[in-house]
Amino acid sequence: MPISEETIVRSELRWAAISVGVVSVIMIALIYAGLVHHINPPSNIERIDPNTLHLGGEFTEANLGTRVSGDGQITSRIVATQFTFQPRCIVLPANRRVTLRFATPDVIHGILVTGTNVNTMIVPGYVSQVHTVFTRTGDLLMPCHEYCGLGHSEMSATVRVVPPDEFKPDAEGRVACDAR
Amino acid sequence: MPGDLDTPEASDEDLERVMRDVPRGAFALAALAVGALLAAWLLIYFLVFLPRGMVG
Repeated sequence: MPISEETIVRSELRWAAISVGVVSVIMIALIYAGLVHHINPPSNIERIDPNTLHLGGEFTEANLGTRVSGDGQITSRIVATQFTFQPRCIVLPANRRVTLRFATPDVIHGILVTGTNVNTMIVPGYVSQVHTVFTRTGDLLMPCHEYCGLGHSEMSATVRVVPPDEFKPDAEGRVACDAR
Repeated sequence: MPGDLDTPEASDEDLERVMRDVPRGAFALAALAVGALLAAWLLIYFLVFLPRGMVG
């Protein structure tokens, strides 16, 4: 007896229900991660002129690296450029909320910090911003993960996560890898 | 050439019997593939993604 049309329709409906179920499980998991664990895609929209990045404003050379502001907020500013990060090493404390801010004067770059959920694109004309809490101490590799030219594979930086009691800002609130 | 071989032609009953079993096998294979994929996604979600902590 050939398979009936009714059986085919029933099986297709069953598969449609399974597909909806799988997508629902994944959506619920993502909403749970966002609401309960505060794991969200970085969604900062902030313009910056890539031509004058180095001339004024927060991404001038003197402002780069980690700095603790008066209200205790910890921010690291990093410029991604072909084919290096400036600075190439930043120090951040474990178990404290930190903010990473990136900008680029040339082409599209991207970064991730190994072993963490930190992952963002760095697009000319925009400031990329990521908030996170590092839970592991140690030197974490932060490579460029968006092909940016011939030297792309050499482009990486280090995120040095130290215990909170070893994180000691200087009088200006700065913390640097070599000065620590 | 298949026609040159001295093999009996499959009867209509044979064809129907084989075709009756095909969807079951296809469904089993598809369910296994989808199940394995979803299980792998959930494993990475619970064992890697969530423990890595907040980001935003």
